[in-house]
Amino acid sequence: MLRARDISKRFGRTLALDRVDFDAAPGEIHALVGENGAGKTTLMNIIAGRLRPDSGEVSLDGAALRSGSAAGALGAGIAAVNQSPMLFERFTWEENLALGGFGTAAFDLPAVAVQSRALADKLGFTLPPAGSTIERRSVAERVRLEVLRALSFNPRVLILDEPTGVLAPAELAPFLGLLSGLRAEGRIIVLITHKLGEALAVADRITVLRQGRVVARTTPAQTSEAALARLMIGEIAPEPTAPAPPMGIGETALSIENLSLDRDGHRALDGVSLVLRHGEIAGVAGVDGNGQTELVELLAGARSAQSGRVIVADASAASPLGAIAVIPENRDLDGLVLDMTIWENLLLAGAIRDRLAPRGWLRRGGAIEYCRVLLERFHIRAPGPDALASALSGGNRQRLEVARAVASAPRVIVAHNICRGLDLAGTADVHRVLAEFAAAGGAVLLVSSDLDELLELSARLFVMSRGRMRETGQGDRDPSRLGMLMAGNWE
Amino acid sequence: MLSSVGKSIAALILACAIIAAVVLALGASPGGVFAALYEGAFGSWYAAADTLVKATPLVFTGLAVSIAFSGALWNIGADGQLIAGAIAAGAIGPYLGGWPRPVALGLMLAAGAAGGAMWGGICGWLRARRDTNEVISTIMMNFVAAQVLSWVVHGPLIEASGAYPQSMPIAPSARMYMPIEPTRLNPAIVLAIVLAIGCYLLLFHTSYGFELRAMGRNRRAAAFFGIPIARLTIGILALSGALAGIGGAVQVCAITHRLYEKFSPGWGFEAIAVALVARLNPLGIIASAIFFGALDNGSQAMQRAQGVSPVLVQVIQGLVIMILLAFDTSAWTRIRAELFARGADSAARGDTGARAGA
Repeated sequence: MLRARDISKRFGRTLALDRVDFDAAPGEIHALVGENGAGKTTLMNIIAGRLRPDSGEVSLDGAALRSGSAAGALGAGIAAVNQSPMLFERFTWEENLALGGFGTAAFDLPAVAVQSRALADKLGFTLPPAGSTIERRSVAERVRLEVLRALSFNPRVLILDEPTGVLAPAELAPFLGLLSGLRAEGRIIVLITHKLGEALAVADRITVLRQGRVVARTTPAQTSEAALARLMIGEIAPEPTAPAPPMGIGETALSIENLSLDRDGHRALDGVSLVLRHGEIAGVAGVDGNGQTELVELLAGARSAQSGRVIVADASAASPLGAIAVIPENRDLDGLVLDMTIWENLLLAGAIRDRLAPRGWLRRGGAIEYCRVLLERFHIRAPGPDALASALSGGNRQRLEVARAVASAPRVIVAHNICRGLDLAGTADVHRVLAEFAAAGGAVLLVSSDLDELLELSARLFVMSRGRMRETGQGDRDPSRLGMLMAGNWE
Repeated sequence: MLSSVGKSIAALILACAIIAAVVLALGASPGGVFAALYEGAFGSWYAAADTLVKATPLVFTGLAVSIAFSGALWNIGADGQLIAGAIAAGAIGPYLGGWPRPVALGLMLAAGAAGGAMWGGICGWLRARRDTNEVISTIMMNFVAAQVLSWVVHGPLIEASGAYPQSMPIAPSARMYMPIEPTRLNPAIVLAIVLAIGCYLLLFHTSYGFELRAMGRNRRAAAFFGIPIARLTIGILALSGALAGIGGAVQVCAITHRLYEKFSPGWGFEAIAVALVARLNPLGIIASAIFFGALDNGSQAMQRAQGVSPVLVQVIQGLVIMILLAFDTSAWTRIRAELFARGADSAARGDTGARAGA
C-alpha cells in the first residue's frame, strides 16, 4: 500500500498542496485528475522523492520513505514518468535507457537495446533509429522512451504524469492494456491525467485535486465525465468552443506544392501538397514523427525543402514565410526563450520585431506597453510584461504563444499540438482564439495528434503518414477510420 | 540591473573579508594591505591615471568577451584577437609618417579592428559552417597569434638594426595624443567608454542585439523563429574580435609604439573575469575593468609597502569571480523566486506549483 499522509507544500505564497491524503493499493490503477496547477505534479514529485514536503510523509507498505530522496524512492520501487521528459539531450536513446534499470555495471549498450526492443514490442511502441540522440526526437518519442525507462526498473509503484497525451491512437490501446497488465501483476499504478475519459475507462479509483486540496474521491461507477469536470473546475465548465466555421469560404491563403525533404537519411516529407483557404481551420492528423515536425519547421523557415514550394497569397515573393505565424509543438524549447522577459518573447516573431524595432532600433517603452495590452486582451495571467517567461504556467505560456501568433497579423497560423498538457480552460481559450482568427478571415493549419481536437475544430482534415499527406473525405471523419489512415492504410 | 550591481559589490566585499583573513594568517595587517593597494591605485593623480591606462585594454577585451558571451558564443580568444589587431597596427604603423595624425590614428585603429575581426571571424565561420566548437578554436587561435607575433618580430617586421626581436617603432604621427604628460593617460580610455556605450545600445536597444541575446538564451527557439544563426555567429565573433583588436592597436599607438614578443600579459583572459564581474553588461565593464586595473596597479605598491606578494591580487581576482558565480546560482535564484512569488500574488496561484513540479 502506497500512502501519502497530510502532505503540504508551499512555493512562495502559493500553497501548492494543502494537507493532502492519497493512497493506492497493490493491483489498483488510481487516477489523479485536476486542472493545471491543481498540484498533481507536485504530489507526484513528493511521492517520487524529488521534492521535500513542508509537512506530511509518504510510506510504502508501512515503511516511511525518506522525504526528498529520489534515490530512496527509486530504491523502494517507485518510478515516475514525467510530463516533460527528462532525458539527456546529447546522449543516444540507448545511453539514456542504460541509465535506467536496464543498465549494467558494464554499460552494455547492445544488451540494453535488445531489452528495450523486447519491452517496446510488448507495448507496441516504435523506437527511434539505433544510435540516434534525443535532441532530434519528437515529444512523443521522448515520452515513449521515458515510459520505457520507468518500466525498466521493474517498479512496484509506477506514477505516470500525462503519459497518453502524445500517444497515437494505435498506441493507446496497447498502452492502456499494459497498465491493466501491470495492475494484474499486483503493482500500484498512479495515473495523472486531464483525459477524463481515460481515467473513467481504466482507473479503479479517481481522486480529484483542486487548488492543492482533495475535493473528491470516487470510482468510475459513481461518477461521469461531466461530474468530474465540474469537480475539477469548481464552477461552471467553460463554454464549448464555437462550431467549426463553414468550409472553404475564402480564396486560397496558402498552397503547398509537392514538398519533399530528406533528413537523417530517410524521406521525412514525400511530395506533400495541400491548399488552405482564408476563413478555415484545416487539420492535419497523424502519429507524431510522420513528418509533421519537419513540415512545421519548414513553414517556420527553420528548415528548407529539397524540392517543392510554399506559396502564400498576397505575401511578398521574397519572403513568403513572413506571412505565416507558427506555434511550435515544444513550447519551452522552440517557442519561448524562458529566461527572457515576456515582452522580449513577443519580439521573437519577426513581424512584431519589425513593427516595434523600426530600422533596427528597439522601442522598449512601446514594446512593453504593447505587451501589456496583449496580456490583457488574451487573458494571460502574468505578473507583468517585465517578468520572465519562465514565471508563466504552462497554460499561460501557450496563451502567450497564441497571442503572439495572432498579434503578428499573419495570413496563416500553423499550430502544432498546441493543447498538449493544457487543462480544459486553457484548451478552450486557445481554441476560441484560433476560431476567432479564422472567422476574421485568417487561415489555420492545425497539426495535431489529438483526434478529438481535430474533429471538433477543423472542417477539413488531412492525414500524414510516413511523410506523405492526403485529404480525407467526410466519410472518414470517425476515430477508427482516421486511426487506420494514420497507420498508413490508404487503399 | 540594480540587483546585479548589488551582487557584484556584495561579492567584492565578501572577497575582501576572506582576503583580510588570509592576510592576517600571513602575519601582515589587512588594513595596511588594503591601504597600500588603494594608495598604489588611486593615491595620486599619477597613480589614478596609470590605473586608467591599465584598465583600457581590459575594457576593449572585456567588451569583446561580453558581446560574444551574450550570444552564448564562448570566445576565449580575446587575447589572440588583441594580438592580431596589434600585429596589423604595428605592421602599418612605421609607414604612416606622412599622414596627418587623425588619419594615421584612424588607420591604425582600422587595421587593429580588421586584424581582430579576421581572427574572431575565422572561428565564427568555423562554428557556423563546420560546427567547430568555438571554445576550442578560439583557444587555439591564441597560440597561433602568439606564434605569428613571435615570427614577425624575429623576421619580416624586425627593426632595422636587428639587435632585438622587436618591430620598427611606429611613426610619430601614428602615436596617440598624450595630453597630460608625464602621465600616460590618453584618449584611448574615452574611446573605450564610447565603445562600451555603443555595445550597450547594440545589445539592449537594437533588433540585432535582441537577436543576439535570444540566440544566447535559446538557440533552438531563435532558429525556429528565423533568426539567422549562422550569419549572426560569424558577425558577432568578428565584432568581438574587432573590439579586442582595437584594444591591441590602441596599446601599440599609446604605450608600446612597437611590437615585441609577449606583447599581452593575458588581457584577453583577464577579460573573461572582467566581463563576468560586470555580468556581461557593457556599461558595467567600464567599472569592472577599472577595478581590475586598480588591482594590477596597486599590487606593486602593496608589495613595496607591506612585503606581501603581488600574487595576492590574483587571489582576490579569483575569489571575486568564484563568489560571484556562487551568488548567481544558489542563493539569489532562491531569493528571487521568493520575491517573485510575493509579487505575483494570487495571480500565479497554483502555477508556481506546476512549474516547480515540472
